[in-house]
Amino acid sequence: MTTLRDDTVATPAKVGNEPVITLRGVEKYFPVREGVFQQVVGHVRAVDNVSFEIPRGQTVGLVGESGCGKTTLGRCIAGLTDATGGGIYFRLSVADRQFLDQVDAIPQEQRTQEQRDRVERLERAHRIDRLKGDAWRTYRRNCQFVFQDAFSSLNPRQLVKDIVGRPLKVYKEASGPGLTERVVGLLESVGLGRQHLYRYPHEFSGGQRQRISIARALALDPEFIVLDEPTSALDVSVQSQILNLLHELQQERGLTYLFITHDLGVVRLMSDDIVVMYLGEVMEHATSEELFASPRHPYTDALLAANPDLLSDGDEDTEMRGLEGTLPDPARPPRGCRFHTRCPVATPRCGWEVDDAVAWLLDNATVLDGLSGVERATDFDSVLRFGDEAAAGEAASLLESSDVPASMRTAMVELGTDGAQLRIRFEEVDAVRLEDVGGGHTTSCILHTSQSAGS
Amino acid sequence: MVDTAAPREPLTRTESGPLAVRLRRAGELTREVLRNPTTLMGLIVIVTLISLAFLAPLLTEPNRPDAYQMPRDWGATNAPPGTPGHLLGTTSTGGDVLYGVLWGARTSLRMSLIVVGVTMTVGTIMGSIAGFIGGKVDEFIMRIVDVLLAIPELIFALAIAAVLGPSFANIIFALSVVFWVKYARIIRGQIIHVKHNEYVDSARVIGDSKLNIYRKDVLPNSVTPVVVQATLDMGNIVLVGATLSFIGLAEAGLAEWGVLVSEGQAGISSGRWWASTFPGAMVFLWALAFNLLGDGLRDVLDPRTGGR
Repeated sequence: MTTLRDDTVATPAKVGNEPVITLRGVEKYFPVREGVFQQVVGHVRAVDNVSFEIPRGQTVGLVGESGCGKTTLGRCIAGLTDATGGGIYFRLSVADRQFLDQVDAIPQEQRTQEQRDRVERLERAHRIDRLKGDAWRTYRRNCQFVFQDAFSSLNPRQLVKDIVGRPLKVYKEASGPGLTERVVGLLESVGLGRQHLYRYPHEFSGGQRQRISIARALALDPEFIVLDEPTSALDVSVQSQILNLLHELQQERGLTYLFITHDLGVVRLMSDDIVVMYLGEVMEHATSEELFASPRHPYTDALLAANPDLLSDGDEDTEMRGLEGTLPDPARPPRGCRFHTRCPVATPRCGWEVDDAVAWLLDNATVLDGLSGVERATDFDSVLRFGDEAAAGEAASLLESSDVPASMRTAMVELGTDGAQLRIRFEEVDAVRLEDVGGGHTTSCILHTSQSAGS
Repeated sequence: MVDTAAPREPLTRTESGPLAVRLRRAGELTREVLRNPTTLMGLIVIVTLISLAFLAPLLTEPNRPDAYQMPRDWGATNAPPGTPGHLLGTTSTGGDVLYGVLWGARTSLRMSLIVVGVTMTVGTIMGSIAGFIGGKVDEFIMRIVDVLLAIPELIFALAIAAVLGPSFANIIFALSVVFWVKYARIIRGQIIHVKHNEYVDSARVIGDSKLNIYRKDVLPNSVTPVVVQATLDMGNIVLVGATLSFIGLAEAGLAEWGVLVSEGQAGISSGRWWASTFPGAMVFLWALAFNLLGDGLRDVLDPRTGGR
């Protein structure tokens, strides 16, 4: 498996290629509905303000825990679901992207007519949710998807020939004996053969099924394939075969991959660039070597710590702590840095807020039966109402105790009781942004960037 | 490339074409269905009853001008079974019970095929529209279905047939109005389940049309419960239809099991059991046989037991 990585490293010619896919501030919010009339009471922010580029011929790894929005993002890019904000662009040149970024910085009313026209032209020609007719078909043919579960992604009632030949039929590229020969060619390119043409998917093993999926994705000779955890449902031995196959196909056909996975080991082998996502946001983005050699985000550290084989030699004395706690509710993501609730090195300026205090109380106190309501002025400043004075006092003393994480206690600038009410105010902080820390390596962690998350 | 060896039957499939594979699979399924002895029995009874229906014109002289009207032998009313020329006896109006039983099988087959054909088609179309399109269309269709399902099917069919007047055609119409809702509900549920499968997304990613996705991916993976329901309904419809004609909603003198049972019931108390018993037994056998086959099919085809 190590040869794989060497190959990837040994092709520097790819660097600097124009992107196949460009993401600009992509958002995907799912409405949360409640009650008889199904009113929208909030949004699950599955993907929030994600921007990066996928250069031609390269592999970008998208890493994160399950539930971080990586699959949702992959589905948006493949056009399976529409992004609710931002834009996903196909074949947008770097120059054009820079132009769009410049115009975005200008307030709407100050833009010249010329700028507006050019923006409109670019969006119509490149933004996937605005593509029509031939432009849409070109994108559709050139952007394919390989699903995690090769069993449910193959129609159980179709023969392999019909499954793999279907894209060719849709675009009327082949029919009759010609179609059969094209399908045989595709099957051979993924290590299957003519003898598999007339079988049903259930007659194959997991690895073979994934090969069939890959053959189908290759049928239209696409530029770009989203690989959504293509190996995580497979045995380890089969995993490496599929990874090798994907790598060979990339070399032969100059494919561009978005490789979605939770497995850093896999992504290291496959990827030129790695994007680390947490709770819908990008935490860190760097080249593969750079990310593994010098991770600049505690979340990346934590992911690496969960997989000690990946640590390079010099890191052994670095203190690495794994992930604790659970993923926060994506309908109410934490303020500041979204990772601060689970971050082992969180500072008082990472975005501590009332929800964190309430969550901590719920986890650690027994008296919380009396908590009857939270009146929030802002997320950082609110009044907790308790059943009686004693409960409020108890909660206050608990929050002042040394059991509370030090960074959270420091961030609490006001804590006082008034009868059965407890007022808590935290220092307000801004949202964190991705910042370049050199050589295209970006991170959102305030410890590694110049931003001080304070206001 | 270790995993390229097929897990089962590695050598037998190499030269098969698509038709041979499909036929072999149909054969495998049939064998599996018939492995259950009660299902096999149901199928044998069904084949026998349908053969009788087809052979009726050969086994008995068709009545003229309308073969579906009972012939009347006024010289031999209330003849017991075994009477020469009237093997199963006659009714109080001289109708030959054997003729009624055989031509009644034809009537029943015709009725159940028409009603199942119509209801399955209408129900599948309505359920597909509701399930595949969803949203307000779904709400609209399913509320109609809910209303219709709230009325017991026998009472509902009775009401429709009664309003339209006594005729066999009206019974068929009434049953068709009543029975489609079940199919709509079944197919809608299946489609909503199936359309979230990744193979539907796979078809969208290659850019296939909605109609093709429905035709190739959604419908074929949704129909098995409909097939089971149709088999069960082949029996139920004859049962309900016989009930309606028993009550008198079919034309008098029709060669139909319900009509015959009704004609013969007055004689039961005076010992003339045959005029009701034979057609009654036919209704029983018909409904039982299709239920046995339907249950057997369900066991084999049910998606929860293996995803065929």
